[in-house]
Amino acid sequence: MAVRILLVDDHPIVRQGLRTLLQGRGDWEVVGEASDGLEAVEKVEDLRPDVVVLDVTMPRMNGLEACRMIQRKHKDGGPEVLFVTQHDSPQMMREALDAGARGYVVKSNAARDLLAAVESVSQHKVFTALTRNPQVPN
Amino acid sequence: MKLRILLADDHEIVRRGLCSLLQKHEGWEICGEAADGREAIEMAKRLKPDVIIVDIGMPSLNGLETTRQLMQYDPQFKIIVLTITDSDQVIREALYAGARGFVLKSDAARDLVSAVEALQSKRMFFTPRVNDLVLAGFLDKGQVVPRNEAPQLPTLTVREREITQLLAEGKSSKEVAVLLNLSTKTVETHRSNIMRKLSLHSIRDLVVYAIKNNIIQIQLPGPIQYGAQLTESGD
Repeated sequence: MAVRILLVDDHPIVRQGLRTLLQGRGDWEVVGEASDGLEAVEKVEDLRPDVVVLDVTMPRMNGLEACRMIQRKHKDGGPEVLFVTQHDSPQMMREALDAGARGYVVKSNAARDLLAAVESVSQHKVFTALTRNPQVPN
Repeated sequence: MKLRILLADDHEIVRRGLCSLLQKHEGWEICGEAADGREAIEMAKRLKPDVIIVDIGMPSLNGLETTRQLMQYDPQFKIIVLTITDSDQVIREALYAGARGFVLKSDAARDLVSAVEALQSKRMFFTPRVNDLVLAGFLDKGQVVPRNEAPQLPTLTVREREITQLLAEGKSSKEVAVLLNLSTKTVETHRSNIMRKLSLHSIRDLVVYAIKNNIIQIQLPGPIQYGAQLTESGD
């Protein structure tokens, strides 16, 4: 299934790493990148991705707030949000899911979890994986 | 002969990005990747890379301590420190540790190639802010700052600094002992010495100390853009 992905992280080198991981799937397309939450909200409006891969800690607007805003702006048929973050905590993950995210993976395990996570959230399935609790089945 | 580069960062996703960036340069190759400071030291001793790129915020053994130990092992190592913060303290410690390059992670895509090129030409490379600090007289009277000194931790030994990080990361004495191949009793002795030298009274104090002195790094979620919230309709 073709999936259109927006990458959001304040570090270009991380976005490059995410691209490298995602390019293995020929039917997926990275349609754009953003470097903070505010830019992410704007690009969702312009690009209409299927999945937003989102960092938490960013300048101008953090990922949690960006996720909430995306959910509010696109109540019907908006993109699914997958957090890829270095916050390896159940509390942060809960906050992310409460903000409307469908997925949450930890950056240190992104190479292991990212593809499966994008696959799941693009099909509107929950995917969460912390270091001490690898993937929780939907 | 290709320039051989060793990468040390605990996030594979960052290493992938760094590899992708650096391998575009003909004549360079990534000879190894390490996920923490200890692995970086072991690989550097074995692979003898031309340039080592070290993330500051690695678990188990942070990048500053890794840099100090690498320079103690071989002062000819050329090390670029990669960091999310350019605080005065981090800059000083990186320079004191012997780093020849200092690049912000947020600017790595822009600066890292230039940094490696500089080290390849036996020059140093620092972000503009670090250059300002140097010009402001950080390097005293043109003398090279002595390497392998940790100005914020002058009374701790190398081993004590290692244990400080591990304890601040939440490891028990037993876990530290296993990791460092020591007895639990030895670790407990080091722990007591650390607490006494630093005048700390609890592990909480130790964690605060470790954060303040960049031994471990934490990240907060970042700012909420209140102006944007207020423009939302229907809320």
